[in-house]
This record gives sequence, C-alpha cells and structure tokens, in this order.
Amino acid sequence: MDKYTLIVTEKPEAARRIAEALDIKGKPKKIEENGVPYYVAERNKKIVVVPALGHLYTVTHERGGRNYYPVFNFTWAPRYMAERGAEQIRLWIKTISKLAENAAEFIDACDYDIEGSVIGYCILKYACGGKENTAKRMKFSTLTKKELENAYEKPLSSLDFALIEAGKTRHEVDWLYGVNLTRALTLAAKRWSGKYATLSTGRVQGPTLKFLVEREKSIRCFVPTPYWTIKAYVEIQGQTFEVEYEKEIIERKIDAENIVNDCKGKTGKISKINVRTIKQLPPIPFDIGSLQTEAYSLFGYTPRRTLNIAERLYLSALISYPRTSSQKLPPAINYEGILKGLSKKSDYQKLAAELLSKEKLVPREGKKEDPAHPAIYPTGNMPDRELSEPERRIWDLVVRRFMAVFGEPAIKQSMRASIEVNGHTFYLRGRVTLEEGWTKFYAPYIRSEEVALPPIKEGEEVRILDVNSEDKFTRPPPRYNPSSLLKKMEEVGIGTKATRADIIQTLYDRKYIVDERMVVTDLGFDIIDVLDNYCPTVLSVKLTKELENKMEKIQVDGEKRENVLFEAVTILKPILEEFKNKEAEIGEALSEAIRKARIQERIIGQCPNCGTGQLMILYSRRTKKRFIGCTNYFKGICKTSFPLPQRGTLKPTGNQCKECGWPTIQVRIKGKRPWNLCFNPDCPLKERRKSKA
Amino acid sequence: MKCEICGKEASSRFCNSHQSAYENVKKNFATWKKALEITWEDYLREIAKNPNTGKWAKEVAEHLLKKGEKP
Repeated sequence: MDKYTLIVTEKPEAARRIAEALDIKGKPKKIEENGVPYYVAERNKKIVVVPALGHLYTVTHERGGRNYYPVFNFTWAPRYMAERGAEQIRLWIKTISKLAENAAEFIDACDYDIEGSVIGYCILKYACGGKENTAKRMKFSTLTKKELENAYEKPLSSLDFALIEAGKTRHEVDWLYGVNLTRALTLAAKRWSGKYATLSTGRVQGPTLKFLVEREKSIRCFVPTPYWTIKAYVEIQGQTFEVEYEKEIIERKIDAENIVNDCKGKTGKISKINVRTIKQLPPIPFDIGSLQTEAYSLFGYTPRRTLNIAERLYLSALISYPRTSSQKLPPAINYEGILKGLSKKSDYQKLAAELLSKEKLVPREGKKEDPAHPAIYPTGNMPDRELSEPERRIWDLVVRRFMAVFGEPAIKQSMRASIEVNGHTFYLRGRVTLEEGWTKFYAPYIRSEEVALPPIKEGEEVRILDVNSEDKFTRPPPRYNPSSLLKKMEEVGIGTKATRADIIQTLYDRKYIVDERMVVTDLGFDIIDVLDNYCPTVLSVKLTKELENKMEKIQVDGEKRENVLFEAVTILKPILEEFKNKEAEIGEALSEAIRKARIQERIIGQCPNCGTGQLMILYSRRTKKRFIGCTNYFKGICKTSFPLPQRGTLKPTGNQCKECGWPTIQVRIKGKRPWNLCFNPDCPLKERRKSKA
Repeated sequence: MKCEICGKEASSRFCNSHQSAYENVKKNFATWKKALEITWEDYLREIAKNPNTGKWAKEVAEHLLKKGEKP
C-alpha cells in the first residue's frame, strides 16, 4: 500500500463512522487482520482508520510479582502484560504497529476528553513508534459526517499535552493507591488465614464506601418517634376536596384528638384567599450526571446503564459526546439544523416547527462548563438501525430536553384558601397551568398534579365532611441508590464523570454492598472498620478532593505531574508502613469478615420445618457431598436436610418459590442455562411437572 | 470486654454499634413519653416491633426488655 494517513480511534464503531464520513463515496473498504478491523478510505489521499479497544496500555509495576507492598515503581505497559484475560490486546497492538510502519501522517481521533487523550497518546507513543509529538488531533463532539469532515480538514496541530499529563497522572495516582491498599488488605487476610480473597479499596472507592457505611449506621441505630397528621375533607359547591391542617406535624396524641373533636361536624369559613403566579423556567441541558439522575428517576436505569446506552447513541451519531460536564449549548452546534433534522420524525415535527418559527433561538443554560465538549444534545440525525427500547427512551429524553431548553417559561397559578374551623385553620390548595411554555416539549417526563378549584370567595361557608388524625412514625434516612450515590460523589467532588459509575459497580462486585437500595454487607462494614482504625487518611474525603484538585490543576494551571505523584507517595508511605506493622491484627479482623461473608453466601433462608433455624449449604465430612441442612441441627433441635445437585455452582436467590413459598437456589452448570431450584420435595409445581411429563 | 448483645470487642458494656443505638433508644424516650404518656417498658416494646426501628436499635430494645432494665 502507498503511504497514507493513519487515524487512530477509540472504538471500532467510531472508526467505521469516521471512515464513512471521510471516504469520498462514503463506502470505505473494511479489512480485517488478526481479527482487528480497520478501514481504508479514499479522499484527496489515502486514509486508514484503525480503532483501539479503549485503553490498550495501562500502569503496572516495573518489576516483581504481585505478593508484596509497598510498590512505588511503575511503568506504562500493554494491557496484556499487566492483566489476565487481555490477550486480544496483543493482536490489536501488533496490527496498529504494522499499519504505522507505512503511514506518512498520524491523526488522533479518540474521544476528546481525558481518557480518550491518554488512549490516543499511548498508541501513538508506544504502538506507532514515538509519533505523539508529530501527530495531529481531530476534535469533535458528534460523529456526524459534517463535523467529522470539518475536524479532519482543520485538525489541531498537536495533541493536548496538558490534558494527557493530567490523565496519565490520574491513572498513576489511582494505581498507586489501588494497588498498594488492595495488596495490603488482600495479603494481610491471606497471611493470617492462608486463604485468598480479593479485598480492594482505592482513592475514591474507600471514601465512597464510607458514605454508605455512615448512612447504614444511622439506619441501623434509628429509633422512630410517633407523630400525628390531621386530614380533613370539605364540600364546596357539591365537590369534595382534601384540605391540610395548619401544622404539618402534631407531636402529642391528645392534641391530635382534640383537634379532631373541635372540628368534626362543624362548618368552616373561607377567611383568606392567596393567589400567586409562578414562572417556571425551562430546564437546563443535560450533562452526564443530570442525564443519569433523570434516567434513574424516570426509567430506573442505573448510572452505568445510562452511560452505556448514551455511548451507543453517540456511536450511532444520534447524540453528542455524553461524557461531558457542560451545561452549555453554544450556537456553533447549529440549533436550526438540529431541529430541522428532528422534524423528520412525526413525533417531533410539530414541536420542532414551533421552535423554528421563533425569531431567535436562545437556550437556557446551566453554570457548569467543560472545555472539551458542550452539553449533551441530539445531532438531528435519524436512527439508521432499529433502536432497542432503552436506547429509544434515552434518545427521546435527550431530544425532548434539548427542545425544552429553548421553550418559554411555563406560567402556573397556585391558590391557597384558608378555612377557619372552630379556632383551627385548614388550607385548601389548587394549582393550574396558565401557559404551558417549555413543558409541552418535555410533557411525557413531567410529573405535576393539577388541582382546579371552583370559583370561591372570602367569607364563603364550607361544610366539613370528615376530619381524622393519622398515626405516623418518623422514618430512617433513605438508603443510597446508584443515582443518589453518584450525585453525592459529584457534590463532594470525588471521582470523575468517567469513573464514578464504575466505582459504584466495584462496590457491588466486591460484595461490600447489595441491592439497588444499597445495603452495606458485614464485609463492607469490616473493611471500613479496618481502614478507619489503621489508616483513616485513605477514607478522608478532604484529602481525596485535594488530590483531585491538584490533578485538575495539571490540566489548567500547569501544576507539575511529579509534584502530585510525590505528594501521593508521601501520603501513602507512612500508611503502608503502619499497615505492615499491624498486619497480623488487620489480617485477623479481615479473615473473620471474609469467613462471615462466605457463611452468609451459603445461607438460603429460614427453615420451613423448625421456623427458627437457617437453611444452609453444607458439606458432608464423610462423603464430601453437598446438601442443605438446618443450622439448628448442631443444637440438636432440627434434623431437616435436603439433597442438592453435585455439579455446577449454587447460589441462594433470596426469592421464594411461587408455589410453595420455600426459599430457592440458582444452579449454574457450564454450557447450560442457569435454573432456579425449589428443593421442597412436596412442592406442587414438581407434582404438576411430573404429571405433565 | 465483650458486647452484651453481639459479643464483639467493646470498651463498655456494648460495642460501638450497639452503644450508638443504645444512646438513641435512651434519647428518644422523652419524645415518646411526651407524645403518648408511655412507660419505659411499653416504649421498648413499641420500638422493638416498629418496622422503622433500625436493626441495632431493635436488638438493644429487646436486650433491655429481657434484662428488665430501667432508664
């Protein structure tokens, strides 16, 4: 092949889009080598577009095995050398290196953010033989043809080295924390018990788990207190309305009873009517955090799922780059062009036309900015494939939010009528929309109840139909869910938009937390206990944030990478020394936590026979076979036992059999679909299945 | 010293977790007494069966009831 321009992208789908956009006929040639796809496009010259698979290089220790700490010497190396299961990366790097040999010019077209910049830099430096200083940079926020052509024709003359330096430092600092603390925990437990279990923590993971532990503690220590509320119904012009008592909370039962007795069967008089007009401004554009929050509250999608869906929509050129913290939409994105594109879809036609008829399109914007990308917006393209239901929902949400930010304020009228009843005041509230404004664009996603009141006037008498008091109790603080935890991390400024969702997932993977409404496990508690006792510094939000700020300064204020790394090592060194001195104590505490966690994993549920013991997966000492037995067997109370399949892995489901209500377990055998097993020998479901067979 | 409830290491009669819950149980009695003119035993019984009571607070209430302790 003649000399060509080699463009490096972050993912295969981005390579295809870029090649299609740049090829003069829109049909680049797809070639596969060693299972690695790349594209050859013809323009004024030959272009080869080759994708990466996210990070091909990573930070790893310079020498030595995995069984020691502290480790402060690191290097960047191909991922296949540092991680198990990353073998395909070897072929990827080999293919890119081969393509680099014949390239005359290099362009980095990875995502324009901190991670994308590090990915592109490492490939150009290590796989392409030191081309990082001569390569150009394509900068774009959408994978649309027009923007890609523009980014190719007018590339940045060099890579963004400040961004790369900040990104590399973040990886290195996180590696220093993660590898040292994880090794310290894991080795302490292993040396004490002789058994291996991965226990991890990290610079952001530790403080995040601490939030959850603190919340869990206040839930577990919570003592509810009683209070009462008063509910009343009034009749106005033949219609029944619920009214609120002047005090939201009554602290004594006797007071609540007295209010009910005072008002029952009485007539009230409207003493005052307050009418207020409220102007509700349009929402601001989505950054990744607010999109994740909205998608969780509307559809129940976890932040990680929303991010994955948004990335797929970006790669399909339907929305702009989603990993952004910007809440701004600059005019350069071409508002009119996007709306015209959207009007091709019948659902958006009328709405887009209404916005296009405005004299000037001015979006309402938030305060947050991102130097690399604007807020998330639709490209105006229509899908060129069938979208899955979750993709369709997120796309629709982004489209409608985009249109809503250009809408007029909504005007609402709220009315509060005060009703005097025998010395007590009740409030009747009404709320109606006078002008829809932006809400018409965002209609499917707005939850607001309208209460239209009949025409009433001061001095008018109303009949009290019913008054009663309700017994209530204060509730414990709510558990975090993936969305509220992500918001908390954002608020306190730990982690980045790219890493927060993954850190939350790691807490689940390590079994420190369970359930969507997050419950901290005993193992999670014990990890925080150990860290709190022996190295509280690594749980400090303040310290994590300070380090975070310094890393940001590398990008914007020219802070030196070496200084930040030196500081990280200075913090870590004494912590790890202290840890090593107390390794035996820590190992004992952790081993006990792991032992308890492993027992917990084997508990299936309450024994249906004795009702007080727990059914558990046990192993026979004689035959080594596994079976289900009751924990009361050891107390000589219950001899309940059931046979189990001897092949595959077993996991309690936490659910009960729909037929008999007994706890169930999931059986997984390699090559077969997992199934749920009800081990009740008399389960009616089994009988039915038998008779069917 | 071991925690009277869970047997964990403790510097007083309860471990840190149950100590915090115990303090909450004691603190909230005043509110319950004012609201319902309730005795200490009835209060403990009420919170022990209330679904909003936290796990550790419930364990403390049950333990105090069993021991017949006064506030």
